[in-house]
Amino acid sequence: MLRKLAVIACTAFLSVAIPGASQAKTFYWISHGSPADPVWTYFLAGAEQWAKDTGNTVKTSFHNGDVAAQQEAERAAIAAKADGIVTSSPDPGSLVQIAKEANAAHIPIINFNTPDPTASFDAYVGGDNVTFGKRWAQYLVDHHLIKAGDFVWMPVEVPGATYGVQEEQGAASVLKPLGITWEVTDSTLDQAEIISRMSDYLTANHKKIKAIIGLGDLVNGSIKRVFDQVGIKPGEIPVIGWGDSLDTTQEVLDGYVVAAQWQDPQATSYVALSLAAMASSGIRPGFNIITGALYDKTNADIYSKILSAK
Amino acid sequence: MENSLVRRLIAKPELGPLILLIVEIAVFGSINDDFLSPLNISNTLAFTVELGLIALAMTLLMTSGEFDLSVGSLFGFSPVLMWTLRNSGATSLEVAFVISMLVAAFVGLVNGWFVTRLKIPSFLVTLGMLLVVRGTALFMTDGFPQRTWSAGGSWLAQALAGEFYIGSFRVYMSVFWFVGAALLLGYVLTQTKIGNWIQAAGGNANAARARGVNVDRTKVGLFILCSLMASLAGIISSIRTSAANPNSGTGYELEVIAMVVIGGTALTGGRGTIIGTVLGVLILRVMRNGIVFVGVPGLAYNIFIGAIILGMMALHSGLERRHNAGT
Repeated sequence: MLRKLAVIACTAFLSVAIPGASQAKTFYWISHGSPADPVWTYFLAGAEQWAKDTGNTVKTSFHNGDVAAQQEAERAAIAAKADGIVTSSPDPGSLVQIAKEANAAHIPIINFNTPDPTASFDAYVGGDNVTFGKRWAQYLVDHHLIKAGDFVWMPVEVPGATYGVQEEQGAASVLKPLGITWEVTDSTLDQAEIISRMSDYLTANHKKIKAIIGLGDLVNGSIKRVFDQVGIKPGEIPVIGWGDSLDTTQEVLDGYVVAAQWQDPQATSYVALSLAAMASSGIRPGFNIITGALYDKTNADIYSKILSAK
Repeated sequence: MENSLVRRLIAKPELGPLILLIVEIAVFGSINDDFLSPLNISNTLAFTVELGLIALAMTLLMTSGEFDLSVGSLFGFSPVLMWTLRNSGATSLEVAFVISMLVAAFVGLVNGWFVTRLKIPSFLVTLGMLLVVRGTALFMTDGFPQRTWSAGGSWLAQALAGEFYIGSFRVYMSVFWFVGAALLLGYVLTQTKIGNWIQAAGGNANAARARGVNVDRTKVGLFILCSLMASLAGIISSIRTSAANPNSGTGYELEVIAMVVIGGTALTGGRGTIIGTVLGVLILRVMRNGIVFVGVPGLAYNIFIGAIILGMMALHSGLERRHNAGT
């Protein structure tokens, strides 16, 4: 009797659980970034929040700029018949074949964070680095913070990486016609080394530097510490650039950074996964979503609060 | 008399690094006046001594014939652990500091145990430990750096990484820790029985055992020392930079080993010099600083650093040959 009851109970449980389980889908969130990069931790937080809110499974992985490892992960997701893939692009062109394979397998593949128009992604969610770089340089010109013949310093964590190259390209489109020169320097991804190298460069060149464009979040979030170490007062050299960290929002509030770029990292992941889910249900997105806003002292606290939530 | 003094000077393994350092300072100083400014010297020393603390311990370990590649990961892990405990309200800063150092000592103990008991080369053991420790730091924090905090009021923070001014010259407390550690470890290596054991363990371990030296215990102790110094350096750095990032210290192990070798410690063990390591630390950091003052293109930085290291090693090798010929 007890055994029969147990069988009935199990049958009843499975009849309820199986349809429920079949509704939950599995998505792969694949990043070319580093798990220790502060901005990527916010992207990850957005993906985790989406999984929690929707009850779907999100399998996340970071690949530290290793294209081969990322391609392997993408192919594993395709082989596992994922309901959708959300991926950043390590380098333009590097995921062209992967996107084709996902298309052929009818698996929605959404590109986020770093665009690659050459690949057949279903949609793109994120910023436009060229536009950001152009916007930063234009801000400095429009606010009369730099003029023809000046010199601008552009520190970056990983020289040659897509984000920095595209941002420099955008800034150059404004600076070059005005005869403003610039230099990109390698600051590394290590916090102590960043401060050391930036302090060295600033000490050696502070007389000629008229403005700083921080091409990455780590370098821009180190401005206060570098200025304090070298003895530069807040605002003495105008700084603009990325602003996806609490360090930078505070720097903006304290006057070390005149304006900073918000990339909506959590929202980007959240929306990209939502698009993937929508596509997996048969509604293909026919549009891209461009994120990001430039903030200054007047509205920095909004972003500070968003970042503090994690 | 005079001849023998010169001969003795030439016979010193530290002579080569000393000449290199003097040449380096003279060249960079003559190219840019700001290079020798109090501000730049102070800034250079701040980071130099943090790496230097690890290099001092690594000197003893390498003298005993072993490596530790996990020091960079401990440099990142220990401050993350300490600040996580403190920021979460679990403990005070002082208790969190002690816990972090104890965990670091345990990591060193495990390294030593694997190397001495399981007879696995230290290169492989500490490479594995590097990944374990780095991975733990990332997993523990979800990759998030600890938020910027204010540790200004803490006596421990002041004692480890406080700063004060002598005129316009800013001095960090870490400089005193470095000097103290250099004096102590220099004394241990050259004037004590333990120093003899360390050199004997690295020179000929079997002969040392036959003479009653407990080689295994000596090496385990040195692994623990290395881990403790890497953690101390990481914690000092985290207080100075107001940041505890699980990724901190990446690649430091190789830079530290380069500092030790440039200073004159034998890569194969058996011979080490703390004075040489202090010079090696200064040579590499001054070079990194000076290259910026010379004004090399920003993205060509690593080309110059690599080329200068190769040049210095060639010069060092030449001086070493002369030194060996002179003895």
